[in-house]
Amino acid sequence: MRRANALGLAMIALPMLVITVFIGLPIVLAVAFSLGHTGGPNSNLSAIAQHEHKSNGGLGTTAAYHEVLSDHQNIRDLIVTIVVTLISVIAVLVASWAVALYLRLSGSRLAKTFAALSVVPLFIPVVIASYAIRQFYNGDGFFRGLAHHAGWSNPPILSSTTAGITLGEIWVSIPFAVLMISSGLAAVPDALIEAARDAGASLARTVRTILVPMCAIPTVIAVTFTAIGILGSFTVPYLTGPASPNMLGVTMQHYFSAFAEPQQAEVLAVVVFVIASLAAVWYVRANATAARRSGATS
Amino acid sequence: MAGISMNGLSKVYPGGVVAVDRLDLQVEDGEFFALLGPSGCGKTTLLRTIAGLEQSSAGSLSIGGRVVTDLPPGDRNVAMVFQDYALFPHMTVADNIAYPLRIQKVGRTERRGSAEETANGLSLAGLLERRPAELSGGQQQRVALARAIVSRPSVFLFDEPLSNLDARLRLEARTFLKRLQKELGVTTVFVTHDQAEALALADRMAIMEHGRIRQIGSPREVFARPANTFVANFIGSTPMNLLDATVADGSLHLACGTIPVPADVRSLVHEGDTLVVGIRPEYLTMTPGEHDDGLRGTVSVVENLGTYALVTLENEAQTFGVVTGEADEPALGARCSAVPQPGRVLLYGAEDGELITAERTEQQEPAEAAS
Ligand SMILES: Nc1ncnc2c1ncn2[C@@H]1O[C@H](COP(=O)(O)OP(=O)(O)OP(=O)(O)O)[C@@H](O)[C@H]1O
Ligand SMILES: [Mg+2]
Repeated sequence: MRRANALGLAMIALPMLVITVFIGLPIVLAVAFSLGHTGGPNSNLSAIAQHEHKSNGGLGTTAAYHEVLSDHQNIRDLIVTIVVTLISVIAVLVASWAVALYLRLSGSRLAKTFAALSVVPLFIPVVIASYAIRQFYNGDGFFRGLAHHAGWSNPPILSSTTAGITLGEIWVSIPFAVLMISSGLAAVPDALIEAARDAGASLARTVRTILVPMCAIPTVIAVTFTAIGILGSFTVPYLTGPASPNMLGVTMQHYFSAFAEPQQAEVLAVVVFVIASLAAVWYVRANATAARRSGATS
Repeated sequence: MAGISMNGLSKVYPGGVVAVDRLDLQVEDGEFFALLGPSGCGKTTLLRTIAGLEQSSAGSLSIGGRVVTDLPPGDRNVAMVFQDYALFPHMTVADNIAYPLRIQKVGRTERRGSAEETANGLSLAGLLERRPAELSGGQQQRVALARAIVSRPSVFLFDEPLSNLDARLRLEARTFLKRLQKELGVTTVFVTHDQAEALALADRMAIMEHGRIRQIGSPREVFARPANTFVANFIGSTPMNLLDATVADGSLHLACGTIPVPADVRSLVHEGDTLVVGIRPEYLTMTPGEHDDGLRGTVSVVENLGTYALVTLENEAQTFGVVTGEADEPALGARCSAVPQPGRVLLYGAEDGELITAERTEQQEPAEAAS
């Protein structure tokens, strides 16, 4: 018994070490820096900082937080980040469930091929995709051309708007969610769907009473990872969004390289990190409930 | 309650597999009807077509006098029990059993009551809050039964519901199922590839091959008088002896001996006919030594089967089996004779493999004659 425990500890020791050095430590340093601890391992970064708040020891100072969070521009960016994330996650959830259900339930091969195209964005680098999306919704882009032909006299230019960011985020996030949910649906045996039909359930009720609860875990995973991915995204908002307000990933980059204010950038990073942690907490709890509900035995 | 009636029912899968081929079949109200046949003969397909899980390609189907050919499964008032039970893993036993009622929008307390009552009847009382993964195979099977029973369907459809149970539990479940079906009086179609199960359970049975029915009858009829050599081969725990013979001097001449032509078909056979003689090993009586009026051979194998033994006798050209009591086992290499019991010898046409019989029995469907 004791020897097995020791072996188990030895086996997790290496990954734990890697996580501590490459993830844990940087997080601690960043938080410390944002609180004004600019010396020690942070002194390199501090050397390039244009204007920073230094602590006088103790727990540190929240002066950098005050500065960053009292700027209206940053608050607007924070709101944009949260709203774009929420809308995108909901849209991705609905769209990926629809595609995955279609893949699972449709018999025709053509339909399956067509639905399977939804994972294509996974194979297109985000930079290229974002640039394409920006061109697509541009003033003289394909979208407006098409809308004109269809008789829409003044279609909006979606490039460089928050709507453009949202469309981009959805486009980039759908494949992973579709893969997650369709693998969950594939694991539901046909006999269960047939048993529900035999009991008289309509398609909608079969989805609601059998497929959704049985795919709760992959759905939770898809939602959390989509949300965290969008929260911290940079390429999509940078290429498809407006100069301001934009998502915090872009703001952070401005602070860091345009203004040379790494401390303020790290304050924003900590804010995004806290929001993502909330998503992670939700993930752990929802996963536990889902596991219980989907009948997985502990 | 309701009988089932199929007229020219066919199911052709995309890709052209004819799984059910122009079937005409009546299942009577309250009957326990078994569908039996080798793997791939279309049993499951026929059952699923009755359930409405497969759309038939041609023909019509009615249940209780109502044509249901184009109705969805939920509107047919049938309940299916699947081979691997198809219990919902995310629901408790109680919720699984109550699921059909929930779909029918029965109120929560009422459906809870019905589920409990049904569960009690099937000795599942203490298990209502468990999940399917926490049950034994036999318990899962009873939950599946309970889910089928709870909505009071007019037809039960079972697809090999016992095949996932071990041998002992299988016997218990078989007895239980038969008693339950008689108590409820619900018309039941039961698919199996185990002929012992069909013989034990069914009021009547159909033996299928390549999507067609080769014989319909009571287990006794099918066992005693298989309508053709296919059924003869398929039915019986020990396979029937099927031996080539020629008619000469009013007797059947086999390579291993000569036996008289059975009295009831004497007028139907002619000098020089070549036929197949069918005789079950159980219906042969063995005596040591050589006798003129029996089938002769040398003992080559003795298989002990508990209370009896299956003895294989060999001759230059023919091999046949005889069942003996455990006390009468012959020694290997002994010369023996076996005499058919009176009235147990069946004759089949050498060409078509059909039973030669004086009475035209109802078992011979017109569709069958065409094939
Ligand atoms: N979905 C399908 N698509 C195409 N062909 C099928 C399909 N399902 C079954 N078949 C074919 O139809 C025939 C009948 O199959 P079925 O499952 O009804 O046989 P079965 O009698 O139940 O066999 P078993 O005893 O092995 O369960 C087989 O030849 C099978 O290969
Ligand atoms: Mg089958």
